[in-house]
Amino acid sequence: MSRNRFVIILSFLFLSLFYNNIAVADDDEFKEFETAIIKGSIDDPFEKYNRKIYKFNDTIDKYFFEHLARSYRKTIPKPARLSFRNFLDNMSLPLSAINSMAQGKIDNGLATFSTFLINSTLGVGGFFDVARKKGINYEREDFGQTLGYWGFSSNNFLMLPFFGPSNLRDFVGFSVDRTIDPLGFNTLQIGGDTNFIDGSKRIFNTVFKVVDNREELLDIIDNIRQDSFDPYATIRSAYLQRRLAQIEN
Amino acid sequence: MKLFKIFIVLMVFFSTKGYSQNVSKDEMVKKFVQIIGDEIIDVAKNKKLNEVQKKQQIIKLIDKSTDANWIGRFVLGKYFKTATAEQKNTFMSYYREFMINTYGPKFNSYDGKKFTVNSVEKQSNFFLVKSEFVPQNSDVVVFFNFRVKENEGNFLIIDFIAEGVSLIETQRSEFNSTINEQGMDKFLENLKIRIDELKLQNSKATPKKAKK
Repeated sequence: MSRNRFVIILSFLFLSLFYNNIAVADDDEFKEFETAIIKGSIDDPFEKYNRKIYKFNDTIDKYFFEHLARSYRKTIPKPARLSFRNFLDNMSLPLSAINSMAQGKIDNGLATFSTFLINSTLGVGGFFDVARKKGINYEREDFGQTLGYWGFSSNNFLMLPFFGPSNLRDFVGFSVDRTIDPLGFNTLQIGGDTNFIDGSKRIFNTVFKVVDNREELLDIIDNIRQDSFDPYATIRSAYLQRRLAQIEN
Repeated sequence: MKLFKIFIVLMVFFSTKGYSQNVSKDEMVKKFVQIIGDEIIDVAKNKKLNEVQKKQQIIKLIDKSTDANWIGRFVLGKYFKTATAEQKNTFMSYYREFMINTYGPKFNSYDGKKFTVNSVEKQSNFFLVKSEFVPQNSDVVVFFNFRVKENEGNFLIIDFIAEGVSLIETQRSEFNSTINEQGMDKFLENLKIRIDELKLQNSKATPKKAKK
């Protein structure tokens, strides 16, 4: 091959690359989309059992939690519901700040802790989200995300009775969060006092959180039940994608 | 040596041109999504239109701005390769109607204060468009992203991502699981039934539910 011809071929090769105009076959385009954009895969070896648990949860929800959430929405005005949600969110911020720090997200951890301090004081115990109005934004972090950040894979998808979608990593994360949270199981003895926060208050907090969460999810779950041919598969995919996005944020 | 110099000059020229083209394409994509978003909000806010008229107009907007064929093929996933030509054709014709009639009416409530496209980022063969929406009765900003694809000089939306959840990825998982369970023919049958139900629903006003 002469030098001239070599240069011409090389030129065309580079030009085509730079010009970004290479005709891409449809199949290649799909493959590229799948590999470059769609991250994560669905690992559900317990699908048979998970589906049974999903069915159980769905039945309990239709007969109990959904009604509770609808009654809550119907009787409590939206501003009051938002204030209660702010209050519940605020209570969980110290743990979120700790998880942020554990992931090395110092700025986010400080923003979370500042939000807790500002809202607990100026926001009247957390009922008003003053910090967000002042432009302080943070990303919520939990121990499942921390484990993900540290490199633990999600492993197998799990559908937990009453708690809903999870995976092995997030289940461990959830258990750890609940264990060290004074408003959770409170199994750590703080200063030798197991009743650091009164048991009835912890139960009230948990029940209130469940009702608030379910109310927040009313429209989403209505849409899934109405639109999806397979709500279990929809919830599984959405859960895994969301968790991945939260870990990568 | 002279030819090498020409080669270098050409490389620099075209790489710069490619860069400026991408910059202007980013702007074009940004404008495209902004216009669609504004049009949807305008329809949703329009007090002269009743609910059914709004639904129909938004369905038209969704139809003209999305690449239903591309999405249809994507959501069919592994079954695109195993389906017969007839099944594929039937699916593609059904999918467009299913998509616009399922998701179009959901934008009816997007009578927000403002929709803003914040950034455009080239990813693989697509553009990731990051945007935010401020609902009418709230100051809480809702963030969501679009994936946009260029098709013969036109831009078309191929995905909608909220809270990190991709609509097409979720639907692909759902459809694959359903086809695996029911088989392709039964799935197509059920898809047709669903489309007929959706069309009927969209031709009527939504019954009132518990207030939000």
